[in-house]
Amino acid sequence: MEHQDKIKIAQEVLRLRLSQILVNDRYKKGDFKVPIHLALGHEAIAVAVSAIMEGKDQLVLTHRNIHYNLARAGSLKGELDEYYLKPQGLARGLLGSMNLDNDNRGVVYSSSILGNNLPVAAGLSLGNKVKSQESIVIVVTGDGAIEEGSFYESLVFLKSNGLSELIIIENNQWSLATRIEERRCPIDLAKFADSLGVRYEIFSSNNPFEYISKLADYRQWSLSNKAPVCVEVQLTTLGHWRMKTDGYPEGKFINYHAGPAPDVDSQKDYIFTSTKEDVVFVLREHFKKEEIEAMADRILSQLQKEIA
Amino acid sequence: MKYVEYINKLIKDEVLRADRMVIFGQNINAGSCLSGLTKNLKVKKGNLIINTPNCENSLVGIGFGAMMNGVSAAFMMKQQDFLLLGIDQLVNTYNIIRQRSAGEGSFTIMTIIVDNGYEGPQSRLNHFGDFCSIAGIQGFTITNTADAKEIISSQFNAPGFRIIGISQRLFKQEIMEMNVLSVSPDRSVFQYAQGKQATIICFNLSLPYGVVMAGRLKEKGLSASLFSVNSPVPVNWDELVHDINKTGTLILIDDLKSRNLASDNLLVKVLGHCTLKQKFIIRRRPEENVFSPHHDQMVIDYDHIVGQLATEWQGGLKSAEI
Repeated sequence: MEHQDKIKIAQEVLRLRLSQILVNDRYKKGDFKVPIHLALGHEAIAVAVSAIMEGKDQLVLTHRNIHYNLARAGSLKGELDEYYLKPQGLARGLLGSMNLDNDNRGVVYSSSILGNNLPVAAGLSLGNKVKSQESIVIVVTGDGAIEEGSFYESLVFLKSNGLSELIIIENNQWSLATRIEERRCPIDLAKFADSLGVRYEIFSSNNPFEYISKLADYRQWSLSNKAPVCVEVQLTTLGHWRMKTDGYPEGKFINYHAGPAPDVDSQKDYIFTSTKEDVVFVLREHFKKEEIEAMADRILSQLQKEIA
Repeated sequence: MKYVEYINKLIKDEVLRADRMVIFGQNINAGSCLSGLTKNLKVKKGNLIINTPNCENSLVGIGFGAMMNGVSAAFMMKQQDFLLLGIDQLVNTYNIIRQRSAGEGSFTIMTIIVDNGYEGPQSRLNHFGDFCSIAGIQGFTITNTADAKEIISSQFNAPGFRIIGISQRLFKQEIMEMNVLSVSPDRSVFQYAQGKQATIICFNLSLPYGVVMAGRLKEKGLSASLFSVNSPVPVNWDELVHDINKTGTLILIDDLKSRNLASDNLLVKVLGHCTLKQKFIIRRRPEENVFSPHHDQMVIDYDHIVGQLATEWQGGLKSAEI
C-alpha cells in the first residue's frame, strides 16, 4: 500500500475516534434524548468496510452503527444533527441513533433488534441475484446476535441459494453487561461455518491496512464464487469505567455498552490503551508519534469547526 | 372450479407477468405444492422460485430485504400460525421500511389460514386481523371469485407490503362465484347485493355464512344488502353506516377468534351514527375458544334470525296497511 494511501486511512481512523469523542462530550452534557452506542475501539473495521465498498454495494448495520455511519458519511455534522433529531440530520431526524441509515452512501438499513438485520441483508443479497447485479451486501452483527436463530437461518439461506455476502461479526466478548462465558457455551465460528460449507476468516490485529487488503479479497471471492463469507473481528469496545461500591472500593469494572463514557473526554488523550486493543496505538507501528499527533490535532480542529 | 384452483390460476398469471420476481416458501415447488396452491408455477427467465428451508422469521426479513432492493417478492406460507415466528420482522422491520418511498419493490405474504378445524391446540389461529393490526399492515382475505380476482390482480405484485389470507376450509370447495356491485378504492370492502330489509356485513372469512343468510332471507321474500370487509385495518365505514341506516337492521358476522376485532370498530361507529330496529351480532362466544381438536365452524341459527326479521317485517307491513 502506498504511503499516501496509508495516511488517508490513518486520518480516517483518527476522524472516527475524535468524532466519537466529540459526540461523547455532548452526550455527557445531556444533549441527546436518543440512546447512542459509541464504538470506540471499533474504528479499524469500520474504516476497512467503508474503504472496500464499491458502486451499488449495500451496508446493513446494527444499533451500534456510529462508526460505520461516520465512515460512510465522511463528516460528523449530519450524524450529530440526526442525534439532535434535526431536519438537516442524515435521516432528517426521523431515525435517531439506533436505526440510523444513509441510503445515499449505501447504508440501507440499521436495526436495533438483535439479529433482525441478518435476514434483511439476506433478502438484499437475494435481490442482487434476481437483478443479476454485481454488487455485494455487507452485514454487521456481533457475538451476541450470533446466538439468535436468525444468524443460523440466514447463513443456511445464503449458502443454499448461492448468494454473495460479507457477514462481519464484531466480537467484543460482551452482550450488555455479560461476558460470553457468563451467558453461554463457546461457539466455534470456524467449525460452525465449516459445517455449512461457508468460508470463515478471522481478524484480530486491529490493523486497518491489513483489514482493507483482506476484505477487498473476500469481497471479490464472494462475488466470484456466489457464496457468503463470515469474517469474525476480535475487538475491544473501549470506554470502560469503574464504579466504586462497598464491595469494590477500588472500583468495579463496568464494560462500556451504551450512553456517555464518563472517563472519555476531548481534553484527555485520544489513545485509551497502549496495546493492540486500541487501533490508534496500532497506527504508531506505521507512523511516528509526532505524525499521528499532528494528524489528530488537525482533524480535531476541523471537526470542531464543522460542528461549531 | 375449486377455491384453491382458482387462486392458483390467478397467481400463475401474476407470476408470469412479473419482472424481477422471486417467489419463495416451503414446498412451493415440491411435493403437493401447498395442497395445490403453488402447483405448476412458472416464472420468466431470470426470476426465481425457491423452495426454502424452514425459517419463517428469516423468510419474512428476506422478503423485506428483497423488496428494499427493488424486486417483487412473494412468500407463500403453508400456515398462518407459522407467521408468529416472523412477528419481529413484521413489526420492527416494516416500521422502518414503511417510512420510505415504496419504489418498485413489492412484498406479499400469502398465507393459508388453517380454519378447517380438528388441527389440535396449536394449529388453530385464524386471527388474521391481529397480524395486520400489530403494525398497521394492509391485509386482505379472499373467499370468492370476485374478491380473489380483484385482490390478487391489484395487490400481488404492487409496490409496498401486504398480507393476503386464504381459507384452508374453503380449499377443496367449489369457489363461490360472486358478482360485485362495488369495491372500495382500497379493496377493504366489497358489496355483493343491495337490499331493503337488512344489512349483512361479513368480516374476515365469514362471507359464505352471509351468503347463506341472504339466501334464507330471500326465501322469505326479504332482501338484504351484503358486504364483506376483507381488510382488518383501517376501514372507512361510511358506506356501511349509510346502508345500515337505510335498512335499519344489522346482521354482523365475524368468524375471528381474536378478542381484538375490526367489527368492534364498526359497532362503535354504528352506536354513534345509526338508529337500529334490530341487530344480530354473530361472533364466536368466548367459551367456543376450545383448545382441543374441534370442528371450529360457526354454528348459526339462521331460522331464528330469519324468523325474527320476517315477523318484524310482516308486522311492519300490517301496520302500514292499517
